[in-house]
Amino acid sequence: MSKNPLLECAFFIPIRRDANLSDGDLHSEKAWAWLKRELFLHFEGATVAPGFYEGFYKDPDTGEQVTDRSRMYIVAAPSSKVDELRTLLAKACIVFKQKCIYLSVSGDVEFSRGKQDDPP
Amino acid sequence: MIHPNEYVDLDGCRLQLATLDTQERELVQELKARAESHPDWNDYSNFWMAKVGDFYKARGLTRKETIGTVPYRIGQDLCSRIGIKAGLVRPSDYRDELEGLIRTRFRTRREFCEATGLAEDMLSHVLAKRKHLAVDTLAEALAKIGYTLHIVPRTEV
Repeated sequence: MSKNPLLECAFFIPIRRDANLSDGDLHSEKAWAWLKRELFLHFEGATVAPGFYEGFYKDPDTGEQVTDRSRMYIVAAPSSKVDELRTLLAKACIVFKQKCIYLSVSGDVEFSRGKQDDPP
Repeated sequence: MIHPNEYVDLDGCRLQLATLDTQERELVQELKARAESHPDWNDYSNFWMAKVGDFYKARGLTRKETIGTVPYRIGQDLCSRIGIKAGLVRPSDYRDELEGLIRTRFRTRREFCEATGLAEDMLSHVLAKRKHLAVDTLAEALAKIGYTLHIVPRTEV
């Protein structure tokens, strides 16, 4: 077995900005290009899963049910780099105007949050 | 007018293909040919990144060097166009440019506002699409941090 096994990290980026936090509009091409560049620089790449993922959840601020449509990214990273991915996703919350981003690390689910006032 | 030896991206930047070597030009041709075959946005996203990444990795370029290459910029631009055509991505406007500038050059919005003289409240309204900045106000603010506005030909997606 490898000394430093890679962990499968999967996360979802909704294709629209959060309607409560922002305007619910599509993301700009610059936002997607930013994510691509960051994933390439820090993780050498990532795979975008085919298709889109429809989901719904209860907005903790409004109490209303929200539906969204997301792209799923899969990144293979050693455990030593998972925190770096969490930091990147905290920045992605700001760039993509999301309250949080769903992240699964080898099946364990968590949510990355960013501070909206400041640029990443 | 677009010269055959250049590629004009969505920002109107003219990328010179004549500076590329034969293999790089073939890589660009491959990226363009795949884009013209009307691929799915996600498929193309995986395709161009792997192509360009592998190509420059084999040449010993770092990832930081790779993102500055013309084929990387073309691959990203073609991918953006596919997303826009599919109605999944929005073309950027000046607010996105402004956000990108704040993101890359300043630690906080407040720091940006202090440097440019813009009011934080006004910036917040502008970035949230509730208000616009007057062109002269924006130009004056940008000049204070060494930036300027340009009018470029609109690029067809």
